[in-house]
Amino acid sequence: MTLDFTLNGKPVLLECTADTRLTDILREHLARTATKLACGIGRCGACSVLINGRLANACLLMAFQLEGADIMTVEGLLAHPLGQAVREGLAEENAFQCGYCAPGVSLALVALFAEQPDAGEREIRAGLEGNLCRCTGYHSIIRGALNAASRIRTAQLR
Amino acid sequence: MEVLAPDTLDKALLEASQPETRLIAGGTALQLEWAKGCVQPRRMVSLARIPGLSGVMQGQSAVRIGVMTPLAELLRAPEIAAHLPLLAAAIRVVASPSVRNLATIGGNIAGRTGCLLPALLALDAVVDVAGAAGSVSLSLEDWLADTDREPEILTAIHIAPQDPDERFVFRKTGLRAAFTPSVINVAGRILPGRDSPRFARLAVGGGIVSPARLREAEALACGDGDWAALHAVLLSTIDAPGDDVRSAAYRRTVAANALTFGLGGYLPARAPAMSVAIEPHSSQTGKVELALGRTRSPERWHIRPDLPAKIGGTLTYLTDHRQSDMLVGRILRAGIAHARILSIDTTEAQALPGVAAVVTHRDIRGENAFGIVVQDQPALCFDKVRHRGDPVAAVAAVDDATAQKALSLIKVVYEPLAPVTDVEAALLPQAVAVHETGNLQREILFSRGDVAQGFAEAFHVVEDTYVTPRQMHGFMETEGGYAFVDPDGTLNICAGGQHGGRDRLQLSRILGLPEENIRVVTSPTGGAFGGKDELSVQPALALLALKAGQPVRLQLTRAESVLAGQKRHPMTIRMKTACDASGLLLAQEVDLLADAGAYASLGPGVLETAMEHAAGPYNVSHIATRGRLAYTNNGLCGAFRGFGANQMTFAIECQMDRLAALCDLSPVEIRQRNLRLPGTPGYLGQTVAPSERLDEMLAAAKASPLWRRPQGLCDDAEWLIGTGMAMNYQGNGLGSVIPDPCAGRLALTKDGFIEGAYGLDEMGQGLLTAICGAVSTELGCARSDVRPLTGDTRLAPDSGSTTASRGTYVVWASARKAAPEFRRQMCDAAAGLLGCDPQRLVFAPGGLAEAGSNSGKLLVTYRQLADHLPDADLPSVTVTYEFPKTDYPASNARYIFAFGAALARVAISRVTGQLRVLDLHQHSAAGPIIDLAAYLGQLEGGAVQGLGFTLSEDCKMRDGAHLATNLDTYMLPGIQDAPADLSIFAREELDAGDELGPRGAGELGIGAITPAIANAIFAATGYCPAVTPIDPEALLSRLAVPE
Repeated sequence: MTLDFTLNGKPVLLECTADTRLTDILREHLARTATKLACGIGRCGACSVLINGRLANACLLMAFQLEGADIMTVEGLLAHPLGQAVREGLAEENAFQCGYCAPGVSLALVALFAEQPDAGEREIRAGLEGNLCRCTGYHSIIRGALNAASRIRTAQLR
Repeated sequence: MEVLAPDTLDKALLEASQPETRLIAGGTALQLEWAKGCVQPRRMVSLARIPGLSGVMQGQSAVRIGVMTPLAELLRAPEIAAHLPLLAAAIRVVASPSVRNLATIGGNIAGRTGCLLPALLALDAVVDVAGAAGSVSLSLEDWLADTDREPEILTAIHIAPQDPDERFVFRKTGLRAAFTPSVINVAGRILPGRDSPRFARLAVGGGIVSPARLREAEALACGDGDWAALHAVLLSTIDAPGDDVRSAAYRRTVAANALTFGLGGYLPARAPAMSVAIEPHSSQTGKVELALGRTRSPERWHIRPDLPAKIGGTLTYLTDHRQSDMLVGRILRAGIAHARILSIDTTEAQALPGVAAVVTHRDIRGENAFGIVVQDQPALCFDKVRHRGDPVAAVAAVDDATAQKALSLIKVVYEPLAPVTDVEAALLPQAVAVHETGNLQREILFSRGDVAQGFAEAFHVVEDTYVTPRQMHGFMETEGGYAFVDPDGTLNICAGGQHGGRDRLQLSRILGLPEENIRVVTSPTGGAFGGKDELSVQPALALLALKAGQPVRLQLTRAESVLAGQKRHPMTIRMKTACDASGLLLAQEVDLLADAGAYASLGPGVLETAMEHAAGPYNVSHIATRGRLAYTNNGLCGAFRGFGANQMTFAIECQMDRLAALCDLSPVEIRQRNLRLPGTPGYLGQTVAPSERLDEMLAAAKASPLWRRPQGLCDDAEWLIGTGMAMNYQGNGLGSVIPDPCAGRLALTKDGFIEGAYGLDEMGQGLLTAICGAVSTELGCARSDVRPLTGDTRLAPDSGSTTASRGTYVVWASARKAAPEFRRQMCDAAAGLLGCDPQRLVFAPGGLAEAGSNSGKLLVTYRQLADHLPDADLPSVTVTYEFPKTDYPASNARYIFAFGAALARVAISRVTGQLRVLDLHQHSAAGPIIDLAAYLGQLEGGAVQGLGFTLSEDCKMRDGAHLATNLDTYMLPGIQDAPADLSIFAREELDAGDELGPRGAGELGIGAITPAIANAIFAATGYCPAVTPIDPEALLSRLAVPE
């Protein structure tokens, strides 16, 4: 099929089979490797993207589901009103170690704060249930997310 | 595959009636199904474009939900929140937030195993179904009962609002706290009447449990409120099968408990009496102990240099490289646990258009054998395969699909051999040999004193067999990378690793190429934990790149990584420990058996380390230990954080608490009486390094606030809380026998940075930030003046492996050793430029300043200095030295140790037997901290990895095959498993005259987590679990004291 969708604000047109996964479209067809792939079955969140503003696993999305969709990957995160605060909050707390889960976690947090601007630790934990991290034990990520939440509140970015 | 997206129900129905066609809603279950081998349909019919199938509507008597409504939308719908709280509760525990954005309620129902089904049954849901004959409405229960239905499409669900007065429960029991496969789900509703309940609905389902209403129990629930009778009926009428992870009996019990407890607060037995917690009394003020965190030490908190790029997605991992002429590699795996290879025919694969190279053992010019300790592992199998993931051939092709197609065309003929899958049986005389040398890979015996005498004098003896799991490293970035050949013939292998120098040596042997002709790049890598220490993809990558003459990339899928990657050695540790009446240890007998899997790799070292920790940090006069490592056909095992020490620590630290209970001593007191004295010989009799901090760690444990937090049965009557502790000490470095060379280099780069070059690897642990910290502290420059260079055999000196908690020491010691000469070279060069006395110059942030000057004015910046120097004159100092060693020649004894104490406060559910770690505190003493955030991260990350080892992680195998093939059923801890309170404390001071500097913290974090949790369970219940991951069923059976 000819797939026509928007990637980080720019139109993309490419030929692929209807069941090609978005992870393959990004990492193989477009050589855009910021979106990571770690399980391929929707269980780790490393490939998280926003589709029409909502969090989704790129490995579960097939080309036919992307027709006309607006996809945001971590490369486009700064275009999101909350992107900068999330990045800075996570960075200040040294939220990550190996960093392979970082793009996915960043997108999950942006999606969370967009919907729940007052999210505290309970909501952050619930919002990150789908994102596995093997390095940190999660507490640095929680601190980073709380830091981001505080930046969002201070800047009244909601 | 053809995908259709019709815009009317009729069209969709027509398409659905075609053969090999599948209807699809959110599609979130498909990738897993296909990965598990379900055949992909030829055609898929998406329902996404049919109008009217989505949305929530409040009708007169019921809420109507369109089948295509995503689960997340249902959680946002006010109608659901207001009228169907049971459904909302059920949806919240389906999958993850991202999956719920795509997955629909119709998909959850249509799969017939969905987690929501018990809730929908309890809510008397009615479904609208469109078929060829038109649309009908029927109860969900009836629809589920009829499994042989004509092609049809669910269109809507109708549910009557819940009564505001009703009591209800939904509970999902899984394998971890959240985002878990279901063990069993229950849903229950009771509407109280004047005398007895007027109405009851009880249902189970989820995972392998067929969704079903429990009618007999419902009838009873409407009776006189006899919860014991109801529980009994539930137990006898719930139909639940068992599987490899949880038994049928466990599922039934949990479901019955969850229903009677959730609706009526009833559990069929009382809670056991609390064992006595230790007396919380301590004089330690905690002054010297630093609680780690950014806000507590802002002046010591630095953002890691690699972090912004990692968060921004701009850091290129070695598996992220793409270029237009790059081929994609794939490896053919044996797929059979043990077999002789009769023939390998690659003709068809080679002929496939798009295939650039196919390699087999015939392409290996050097020795077809590698292994860090003994070279028993073939790069590509030739005579035999010894585990299902053994590599037999590899292919490089224009794309992944062509490479996979080519693999399927390679014909390998095997003569199957009996697989050796039981580690005990592997050592029987009649066992089939995995290797010609026999299945006993290594045996380590050690004794001191006379154990028979020790046990004869004993007042108390505790004996148990501790069993530890085949833990998966679970690094997020699977094994992989790329390779290419330079025009000058140099082979470049860029794949995540832990010791490029040794990878190069091993590749040189395999390829028959001089080491100078190979460059190995090993950083950055997305997590390793020991699992990337041995070669994995590198031989295949190298062979393919050489043969194809083109760049090749290759990354294992997660399933392939599970199949072919190394795991932690499963161990069985029989331990018998004796003490006298006062709790003084007398004798220790240990018999350890470890499953090596198919090849040795670092197994002998793991075994040796385990045995070195056999008495923990305690004095025992009489010791007899035996450790054995046996080959089997159970996949691969190798290095993993802790390296055998954490398994042994689990056993000895549990023994201590059990002996304490027998002696009527507190856990702290028994340890105090037996702790080794600083300055005395180590366990093997070796000299050990100064700055021992065991007493201090024990004092910190004694003073811990966790003992004073609530213990015993919670007010809710479900959770039993207990607190436990364990001591921790971990040897650093490779030991006294193996050569352990280190190196590092300080240099001024052409663009004015001070380069800290190390052949170590950034795997996430914070090597780069540690280099910035160590070099800047040593020299007096700013962290931002330092540019780390790591993980490249061409550019960095060989610093040895990034393992065994040795990296931190190497970073610090190299900087320290190189600094005087580097300082001299820099100052001389600057003095020549400035025409001043080099003695007057000192390092300052940004450049060199005048000694003693308060102005901070730079006389020359590093950049200016570099600009003025010819390349050949740029200061550069390389140092090489041996890792500090002890004097023990008989085996590998450690010289340097790091110390710790872990405390866990845990809550155990009387409903499910599951455990939640509430608080996890780690006290540590590993010398001066180079980088606070990295140290904190190592301790925190190690803690949760240890928590997974203790509670949920195990690669179970049958017939040499992994039962879990991906992260859907291998349960890495998720964020909800992380303790509510995770606190890390550190003591940094060293003894006067101790020149050994910082100790490694990489393994300290995992060392004592398991026994701390087990001892907390022991404190709460009187039962000490000896098998990890701890089985909730075993725990549950100990929680109920018959009334």
